[in-house]
Amino acid sequence: MGAGWLFLFAVLYSAGLLFGMVFFVIMFSDLESDYINPIDLCNKLNQFVLPEYGAHAFLSILFLLFGQWTAFLWNVPLLAYNGNKVFKKNHMYDATEIFRTLGGHQKETYFKLAFYLLSFFYYLYRMIVALVAENP
Amino acid sequence: MATPAQQLPQGWEAEWDANNQRYLFIETATGRTQWEPPVDQGIQPQYSENAPGAAEQPVHHGKRRQYAAGQTQAYYGGGESSLDPGYLAGTAAQPGGAQLFTPGLVGENQFASQQTQAAPAPGQAPQYYAPAEPEYINAPGFQQQPAYGQPVDNLANQFGQMGLAGQKQFQLYTTNLLTSPPDPRDLHIPPPEIRLPPNASAKIPLALILTPYRSLKEGDEPVPVITDTVIARCRRCRTYINPYVQFIDGGNRWRCCMCNMTNEVPQLFDWDQVRNQPGDRWARAELNHSVVEFVAPTEYMVRPPQPAVYIFLIDVSNAAVSTGMVATATRTIKENLERIPDEDGRTKVAIICFDVSLYFFSLPQGTTEPTMLVVSDIDDVFLPKPNDLLVNLAESRESVENLLDKIGNMFQDNHIIGSALGPALQAGFKLMVSVITVRLSVAKLWSCRRVCPALVPERSRTGKIPKILGTSKESGLLQAAVPFYKTFAIECSRAQVSVDMFLFSASYQDVATLACLPHYTSGQTYYYPAFNAVRSEDAIKFAHEFGEVLAMPIMLEAVMRVRASRGLRMSSFHGNFFVRSTDLLAMPAVPQDQSYAIEIQIEETISTPFVVFQTAVLHTTCYGERRIRVVTQALPTTSSLSEVFASADQVAIATFFANKAVERSLTHKLEDSRDFIHKTLIDILIAYKTSMTSGGAGASGQLAISDNMKMLPVLVLGLLKNVGIRQSTQIPPDLRAYAQALLTSMPSQLLIPYLYPTFYALHNMPPEAGTIGEHGVVLPPPLPLTSERLERHGLYLIEDGQTMFLWVGRDAVEALVRDVFDLPGYETLRGGKTTLRVLDNPFSERINAIIQKIREMRRGPYYPHLYIVKEDGEPPLRLWALSALIQDRADVLPSYQQFLSTLREKVSST
Repeated sequence: MGAGWLFLFAVLYSAGLLFGMVFFVIMFSDLESDYINPIDLCNKLNQFVLPEYGAHAFLSILFLLFGQWTAFLWNVPLLAYNGNKVFKKNHMYDATEIFRTLGGHQKETYFKLAFYLLSFFYYLYRMIVALVAENP
Repeated sequence: MATPAQQLPQGWEAEWDANNQRYLFIETATGRTQWEPPVDQGIQPQYSENAPGAAEQPVHHGKRRQYAAGQTQAYYGGGESSLDPGYLAGTAAQPGGAQLFTPGLVGENQFASQQTQAAPAPGQAPQYYAPAEPEYINAPGFQQQPAYGQPVDNLANQFGQMGLAGQKQFQLYTTNLLTSPPDPRDLHIPPPEIRLPPNASAKIPLALILTPYRSLKEGDEPVPVITDTVIARCRRCRTYINPYVQFIDGGNRWRCCMCNMTNEVPQLFDWDQVRNQPGDRWARAELNHSVVEFVAPTEYMVRPPQPAVYIFLIDVSNAAVSTGMVATATRTIKENLERIPDEDGRTKVAIICFDVSLYFFSLPQGTTEPTMLVVSDIDDVFLPKPNDLLVNLAESRESVENLLDKIGNMFQDNHIIGSALGPALQAGFKLMVSVITVRLSVAKLWSCRRVCPALVPERSRTGKIPKILGTSKESGLLQAAVPFYKTFAIECSRAQVSVDMFLFSASYQDVATLACLPHYTSGQTYYYPAFNAVRSEDAIKFAHEFGEVLAMPIMLEAVMRVRASRGLRMSSFHGNFFVRSTDLLAMPAVPQDQSYAIEIQIEETISTPFVVFQTAVLHTTCYGERRIRVVTQALPTTSSLSEVFASADQVAIATFFANKAVERSLTHKLEDSRDFIHKTLIDILIAYKTSMTSGGAGASGQLAISDNMKMLPVLVLGLLKNVGIRQSTQIPPDLRAYAQALLTSMPSQLLIPYLYPTFYALHNMPPEAGTIGEHGVVLPPPLPLTSERLERHGLYLIEDGQTMFLWVGRDAVEALVRDVFDLPGYETLRGGKTTLRVLDNPFSERINAIIQKIREMRRGPYYPHLYIVKEDGEPPLRLWALSALIQDRADVLPSYQQFLSTLREKVSST
């Protein structure tokens, strides 16, 4: 019973994260085309950085607690990457450097976007598999 | 080159201009003059065309372009292009002011004949060819050019004249670096005219080195101002009208030189509003000058021009008072109050002192007695009083002076250690901002500070330093340790507040973190390690520099935007400002003589014959007028790689490298930045070898580079050995951070000596050195920077624009020591900081004249210290002086020969 609900939750959760990343991408392209200034951009995005990391970490821990090893392992690399950034204290966007680092930020955001998209479909698949297994 | 007189078309005369070492061509009928040899009557523009509304024929396009080529030289472009009004007396030297064709301004002698024949009517002035470059105007006078520059200029000019109507020919000379030692005089050769390749094949970096606000020295002419607020701009790309646009359609429209958009000429463009009659379009400054200033109409204002507000934050903790910093600072402020720009009488000042509390001074009108208000709650800073803290300088001058006199005594016995710089800055900021909301604004925030504030968490890294120095983690020390100074800088930038910092400390105080604030608010950091006002040299240096900074006219509330032709993209910006969008730089204040480097990428192949760069600085002058300073530069393109190499500018490339190295040392590591510079240099050499030398023949025996870039390797070596970049475990992080701040903000004129110091032998200087010559004090010939030149009985001067070393050899004869230092012999001489007294003998007078000249000849507020270094004196000072001789081997750093041989190995192994 648990696995089905867990993955249903994960599907919704990763959809949320997916939208978050789309928001990041839009904001960065706004910056590029000068619709927003870097100070506002950083103030806005920095509010969402830690919640996003936290949400991702929370989901990973849920997988760990429920013993979903494959799902957990799938998330470990990103978890480590985020953790490393927080540890080194460079997870926040710095308005003074943003134009120098913009390319890197964009790449990272696109990567995460792809990651959450794949996660979404994977969780969906796992949810269906779990539901089918529970109600034959 | 043969006398051009024989080849002239009818009606022309050639006259040799001795000042500029080139021929001046005069059309006898009209008195029109030009530097380019006249071609044929057929393609000479007719004067009638100069009348308003006349069509411009396509023929002129070619002419224009040629003019563009001339312009680039004026601009002193570099990094294969760059526009550096700041550097090089050399560029200015050759046209020497006589390049102005405005009838009233020409030098009398060379134009005497012309004047008698027919002085052109003002309306008819042949503005086509009148490149009255503000660069020239602003450039330092000819007197700064050492005499030896002359023949070279001459050569260069003749060179330039070889091409006739078309683009000038470029001759590429290859130099073998291994056999030609660097000659310091080569740095003063005027840079070649830049040619751009259509793509990035030459490996030479492309950057714009820009000093938009240069100080006007004696003899410099101000930038022309257009007062009628008719500002013609391209509808699409917003380019300002400039000398490179093309008038079409009977002069009713103009074609933008960047995007080819056709625009209407504004109706009042041909109307002289002063005299209220039709004016001469060709007399308009924006069509004749590459640097102009428009008076901006109200569309260019977010709010009315704001008066300048100066707030002084003075640290009055124990250490600051006991070293005499407070006394020197208050005295300097008092002495310079009248020099603070205040033409319109609106400038406001406030003084805040701080230790662990903040001390505000209220100066109510009608009384000269200041009231002190103490705020000791620094966790949540507030202003103790809504008004009277900020007073009008002109109205309350006396009370401000009175207050400044008192501050010294007030805090004389202050034993409080520690200072709350952060809260003090916030208070200063609040004071400004609170005022803005009422009616006024903004400007410069000065802070004089001494010790690490115990209250701002920046001590965190102090303990770890010795272990980190020299390792790959060292670059961490050069980054901001606490985010406060960055976030606060952003707030300041938004509120148009610029901060200059004067730092004094013997112990570590994290200059790297503090320097963020001036960096992002386009101020400047000044650092006086181990300052003590008891030593008069320290006090003089600080007072001089602080005074200069106070007196400096500044641009306020500025934004700078750089536009360029299609295919070019500004990829990164270096200098003191905040990047507000992809091409917009926010600068709350633009101090004079600060340089900015803008890296440019050629993104698509350029097919046009020339490209245009335009920099616009929208600013408020310090007397409350909104203006736009527009700097336009056109560079011809070429498909020939040899022209690209022959036109590269080593000084600009070195300036760009300095900026790039500092950037990389912050984002990567110090080693990475050194490797990057090294690798870029090798790439240039390889590109040169593969494309310009015949199949790499004799590859082992030579290291080839074009003649105009032969100083580049030694400049790069100088950069790699500079305090800001050097590999060493000995350099205190504060000094390194300060050196980096200098590297990214100094104009080339100051930067090049900082990388490649000047070295003079004084004991055997030629008889005219140190005496007043035609162009001021004559300097002795510079020597190559190697200790081989140090003789045991000699007296030498090494200077890099920031410090001067007077090196005394151990066998210096008694007469010399007596003449210069008034001491009986070498043994009694003491090394260290000193002021050299002028003694009553010609040798002492000459040496003092040289030192004085060196202190004055460059732009910027810096006042170098003079150190006496004895050959057998204290090792640290000796080593410091010797480290300026960059062609020597020092510790792990290679000598110039070793450096070249590693370069050769790398180049020939590919």
